[in-house]
Amino acid sequence: MTTALTGRVHLSGVTRRYGTRTALDGVDLELGPGVTGLLGRNGAGKTTLMRCLATDLDATSGRMRLLGLDPSRAPERTDIRRRLGYLPQNPDFYPHFTAFALLDYMAVLKELGGRRARHDEVRRVLRQVGLYDRRHSRVRRLSGGMRQRLALASALMGDPDLLLLDEPTVGLDPEQRIRFRNLVSRLAVDSTVVLSTHQIEDVAALCGHIVCLDGGRVVFDGAPGDLLARARGHVWEGPGDPGSGLTSWRLPDGRHRVLTPGSPLPPGTAFRAVEPTLEDAYLLLVGVSGAEPAEAVR
Amino acid sequence: MSGWHLTPAQAHDYAARRSDEITAMSVEAHLMHCAPCRSLLPADESWLADGWASLRDVVDRPRRGPVETVLASVGLRAETAKLLAATPRLYQAWLGSTVVVLAAALFAAYLLPRGSLMFFFLAPVVPLVGVALAYGRGGDPAHTLASVTPMAGQRLLFLRTCAVLVPALLLCTGAALLLPHTTTAWDAVFWLLPSLTLVAGSLLLGNWIHLSAASGIVGVLWLAVLGLVSLSGQTVPVGVFAPQAQACWGVALAVLAGMLLLRVRMA
Repeated sequence: MTTALTGRVHLSGVTRRYGTRTALDGVDLELGPGVTGLLGRNGAGKTTLMRCLATDLDATSGRMRLLGLDPSRAPERTDIRRRLGYLPQNPDFYPHFTAFALLDYMAVLKELGGRRARHDEVRRVLRQVGLYDRRHSRVRRLSGGMRQRLALASALMGDPDLLLLDEPTVGLDPEQRIRFRNLVSRLAVDSTVVLSTHQIEDVAALCGHIVCLDGGRVVFDGAPGDLLARARGHVWEGPGDPGSGLTSWRLPDGRHRVLTPGSPLPPGTAFRAVEPTLEDAYLLLVGVSGAEPAEAVR
Repeated sequence: MSGWHLTPAQAHDYAARRSDEITAMSVEAHLMHCAPCRSLLPADESWLADGWASLRDVVDRPRRGPVETVLASVGLRAETAKLLAATPRLYQAWLGSTVVVLAAALFAAYLLPRGSLMFFFLAPVVPLVGVALAYGRGGDPAHTLASVTPMAGQRLLFLRTCAVLVPALLLCTGAALLLPHTTTAWDAVFWLLPSLTLVAGSLLLGNWIHLSAASGIVGVLWLAVLGLVSLSGQTVPVGVFAPQAQACWGVALAVLAGMLLLRVRMA
């Protein structure tokens, strides 16, 4: 998988520490054009990795090359930033600015030159995220979902070659999420998009490549099909409680879906193997600590 | 609606601006609602598109705030004025509190024995507090978005520092002019070199630690040194601003500024 990529993002042994805590531990990555889904539970190191890719944080050790440039050197870092779009987790704004004025300010920071060209770019991204009609609304009057779209518009300015989206669909309604998916899939034809999210359905809909972090380490790096293949034979459905401390949850029809990370269920039980979803595969990969033990599901 | 339409000759005269005024007005009124006659006129589509885009831009563009307008009117580039005017909320709060602090220092100078000391203590710290709030996560709500743009880092930091220094220096100079014993221009700017030195020191220290922490350390050091000098009774605090001391401040400022420049070039 990774050998086919052209390497717009190249990380080799990247470690990032905050004092004594290691947030990233020897991460190796090679990403090319297309959408890469970055998965992992809270505290797995996703946001730290995104901030490193966004040139907001330096790696404590290891080697990074972004868009063929070295982010540890100031002139190259600035060049990377000219070709970078970043939607951070929980973005904040100047509340008294209008949506247009805020993006215009961001466009100045992004060195999008010439007032007319800059304003045209602001209009373009406002239309892309469906906020053009609210361009004169002050940020404090926008809903949470609208602010999220405003931050996305800021990330999209200048047609970035590397687009980093940290929890981009938080606060978006279903219609906006579909719009977001269409937008990202169009952008990913030419750009490298990294999508950090807990929304597995977004990953399933968009990503041709998945990276999963756990405890700051990469525990999976490959295609969604490879992740699903690992889960085959470990997902079951059947009536009642399977017992034996396995992880399961009750389905709407009253049956139980069971994940068996180790050996499959013993033959003769009423459970039958079913095709895993990406969510099943992810839960199996990270140890299913988020689901309830089967005995608790009554 | 009459059945009158433009003849090709009339259309040609109008396009060539050879129609008399009355005919031109009649033609324009007719063209407003007659597409076939409009098609008789030559049109430069790209010019029209550009004209509409310009018009849309005039209607759409954000209105300049008063600060941005003033900055642009004194000759700053529109982009620079925009960046300087878009200052964080804490910076605005700092500006308000600066006025209050300097007013309090003036009251103290007039009403208390040795009250002028308050101004000596605080005038160099006032810009330092502003610098601490001018850049970084603590003072700028949009810092997360701004910090990964090409302008982020030293360029934005120095720009914001200027945005803080100019009003701070003006306010402190204004307050110094109002002090009870101010008689010469020197009396109004004696605090300037120490203040700029502290700012340069905090910017340099900000290369290794968070800027607000750097400014805090430098400010506390300044107050501690001045406090110790006051308590020791051997030297009056005003001596820190004496002409001989000013030479030392000047040298220190030059060294720190040189180190800052070196640091920027090496980054």
